[in-house]
Amino acid sequence: MVKLRDWRQSLIYLAVVAVVGSGIFVGMLFIGGTVFSTKSRVETQTTTRLSELLDTVESTVSIACFVQDESLAKEVANGLMKNSGVLGVSISGNSNELARNYRSGVSPADLKRAQSGRQIRVIHSPFSPDVPVGKIVLDPDPKTFDRAVDDEARFVGFLLWLQLASVVVVIVAVMLKLIVRPIKGMSDRLHRMDPISGDRLQIPRGYVGSELGRLVEDINGMADQLVVSLKDEREIRLLHTIEEKKYRAIFDNAETGIFTADRNGCISSSNPALARLLRLPGDVETAQVRLIDLAWSRPEDLQGLIADCIDGKAVTAADLEFTPDDGMARWLNVGLSSVGGGMAQGVVSDVTERKLSEDMARRQAVTDPLTGVANRPGLEAHLQTAIRQHDGATAGGFTLMLVDLDGFKRINDALGLPVGDLILKSAAGRLQSCIKTSDTVARIGGDEFAVILPKVEEEAMAANIGERIVRTLARSYDEHANPIQLGASVGITIFPNDGVDMPTLLRNAELALDRAKLGDGNRYTFYDPAMAEAAARRRALETDMQLALRRDEFRLFYQPIIDLQENRLAGVEALIRWQHAEKGLVPPDAFIPVAEETGFIVDIGLWGLETACRQLAVWQAEGLDLYMSLNVSGRQIPDGLPPQALADAIARHGIEPWRLVLEITEGVLLTDVSKAQQWLAAVRELGLHFYLDDFGTGYSSLSYLKRFPVSSVKVDKSFVRDMHNDPSDRALVEAVVAMAKSLSMSVVAEGVETVEQLDLLRAMGCRYGQGYYFSKPVPIEEFRQVSARVDTMLS
Amino acid sequence: MMRRYLLLLALCALLPPPDAAADVVVIANPRAGVDRLSRDEVVNIFLGRFRQLPSGLSALPADLPSSQPEKAVFYRQLVNKELAEINAYWARLVFSGRTVPPRQAVGNDDLVSWVAGTQGAIGYVDRARADGRVKIVYEFSP
Repeated sequence: MVKLRDWRQSLIYLAVVAVVGSGIFVGMLFIGGTVFSTKSRVETQTTTRLSELLDTVESTVSIACFVQDESLAKEVANGLMKNSGVLGVSISGNSNELARNYRSGVSPADLKRAQSGRQIRVIHSPFSPDVPVGKIVLDPDPKTFDRAVDDEARFVGFLLWLQLASVVVVIVAVMLKLIVRPIKGMSDRLHRMDPISGDRLQIPRGYVGSELGRLVEDINGMADQLVVSLKDEREIRLLHTIEEKKYRAIFDNAETGIFTADRNGCISSSNPALARLLRLPGDVETAQVRLIDLAWSRPEDLQGLIADCIDGKAVTAADLEFTPDDGMARWLNVGLSSVGGGMAQGVVSDVTERKLSEDMARRQAVTDPLTGVANRPGLEAHLQTAIRQHDGATAGGFTLMLVDLDGFKRINDALGLPVGDLILKSAAGRLQSCIKTSDTVARIGGDEFAVILPKVEEEAMAANIGERIVRTLARSYDEHANPIQLGASVGITIFPNDGVDMPTLLRNAELALDRAKLGDGNRYTFYDPAMAEAAARRRALETDMQLALRRDEFRLFYQPIIDLQENRLAGVEALIRWQHAEKGLVPPDAFIPVAEETGFIVDIGLWGLETACRQLAVWQAEGLDLYMSLNVSGRQIPDGLPPQALADAIARHGIEPWRLVLEITEGVLLTDVSKAQQWLAAVRELGLHFYLDDFGTGYSSLSYLKRFPVSSVKVDKSFVRDMHNDPSDRALVEAVVAMAKSLSMSVVAEGVETVEQLDLLRAMGCRYGQGYYFSKPVPIEEFRQVSARVDTMLS
Repeated sequence: MMRRYLLLLALCALLPPPDAAADVVVIANPRAGVDRLSRDEVVNIFLGRFRQLPSGLSALPADLPSSQPEKAVFYRQLVNKELAEINAYWARLVFSGRTVPPRQAVGNDDLVSWVAGTQGAIGYVDRARADGRVKIVYEFSP
């Protein structure tokens, strides 16, 4: 219960003070008013009384004055003086004063004041009222006057004070009874009241509907609301507690580490998972752990992450390497989000597995699965790195080598993929043995490897290594039952002289490799700008050839093939010529190799087939008994010149199949033996014959002659040309002719230029011959003429 | 005291009114040296104000007894007062002791005799009684 701190604050005191104060104020006004009115009233009363007094004594004074009787006058004056309100009396006759009586000891001020109220009455004769016989002067006593006023004021004041006192008493009593006591009762009850248990204030008896009653109702209403609010609050708190417990459980049992930390990385709260992940002591909160101080590989990264999060108010995350003392390096993903107040909330999860698998995937992406060295993307990445490292530097360079296993394809075809794979693995290993660990080996194609030598920039050193590679790879491979011998070609480019970007370097290395592979291979070649020029020329030629096909600039020239036994024109060999619009006649050597390399030979071949067939149809219609041989390049077999296309052409032009002969070289047979065999069989099925061209210059394998359905062999002109003065050449031609005869094949001798050669061939029993002796290849326009001339020559 | 006068006055009023018809004159001793008196002089002498005759003699006024109707007539005619009033008047003056009322005569004859025999005496009677021994000094005009 609260005591009044100061009785002066009590309602009663305040009310009394107010009432007394206002009462005094009003009383003063009232007394003032009373004094004023009393004064005037007493004045009037005094005047009236004196006047009445004078009335009473007037007749006697009149007599006294009439007879000038001083005694009587004195008597009257004395009588008047008996009246307390009279200060003094003076009675005079017409000529002299008869009596005078004034109180003694009167102050002059009083005298003066008395004069203002002085009453003067003229006295007339008792017998003739018109005759004045004297006068009487009566001065009122101001003291009496004042006393009257005082008495009156005092009385009024007394009454007022009495009234005031009774009002105060009544107010105090009323307030005590009606206000203070009920309020105190309410207050006491309020202090004891427990609203929750249903306690309520009771309206004091008789106060229902009064202000106090309403106050009690309001308080009770408030108590009701309070109880409801408290109940709600308690429920909310309960829910909150349940929620918090729930989240606490999640927080405590999460596998993910959760924490809050400030800018300096000081942890303010954390869960057990964090302690496990970061190898923290048990009680983190008291240990005052700074995140940054833990065993991160790069603590500054974490510092930056926290700063970015708090400053940028953003969500930041990063994978950070954690290397605790136990040596188990882990990758932890730390995700931070700002929670305001310079604090960040973080989650930490172990992403080591993911990181490792990512790394593996990344490695696999750049690794050749077979050999374990880098693959093509890997090479490109390393190359880019090397270029970046040297780019902008004034000095320094590096070397890029491309390595190709010569004849690997053949081995693969012959011995099967598993052996090929073994060889590739072995080759990769050998390559790595040739270089330093800082160098890079990559497998970028079937049997093509690349080597980057970041520290090598001098040609001599590069040559050294190239030589070593060629030598190492050329050693026999013992993975198979039979040791296998392979060569290797190496193309070398050096940054920056041979190119400053990756495509250029690779292309130039490829050019150098192509050059190295020319011939027998098994060597290294440095890139030479001339290679690029040649390549450029070749590209131009390629474009030109395509244009030529569209412009119909290719021609077939025909060279007669003579039946030496029957002395007649048996057939022709169709030879392709290019009548260039600007350059004139382009020799076949100038474009056929390129056409073969680029595959353009396929288009040219099809064109040739079509042209040949058309001409054969013409001759067939004319009744000429001629066949035509058409050169077929290895590149056209088997898909460039499908048997179906041949069948279509023959059928379309309605020519007899024997009239079309296809000339193939041994090289055709060296590529894909089985496919070539199938193709040959299919074409032979159509009724077409094959000539084996350039016999004697290549492998000249007799087994081929047996395995392939060849009807004739053509002896190369180099043998025929020197036949008459080179006995070995003559012996060779003789042997071929003899062998062909025994295999039931015919022989066509090329390059017959003289009659001696012709006679010699005839003597050997060679069936056919062709050459300048009879005619050079001629366009169709001249052929009729040549044909006539040959006929003449033979007859 | 005044109250007593008022009572007296009231009692006087109860008396029967004097005969107004009587012709009263003022007489004086012939040796008084005066022939005529003014009305004021008569008033002064009889009402004690100034008791000296114009001749220088002291005037000695005398009244008739109240039983004589001439007295009432005289005072009514002189000062228009009733006898009671005159008595009250004198009562007050007597009280002070300085002035005395006129000598009281026993009757008309006595009065005339006294005036005749006393120098300076002055009185009033019915005209019929004014003989040669006295001198009429004032007459109320008819």
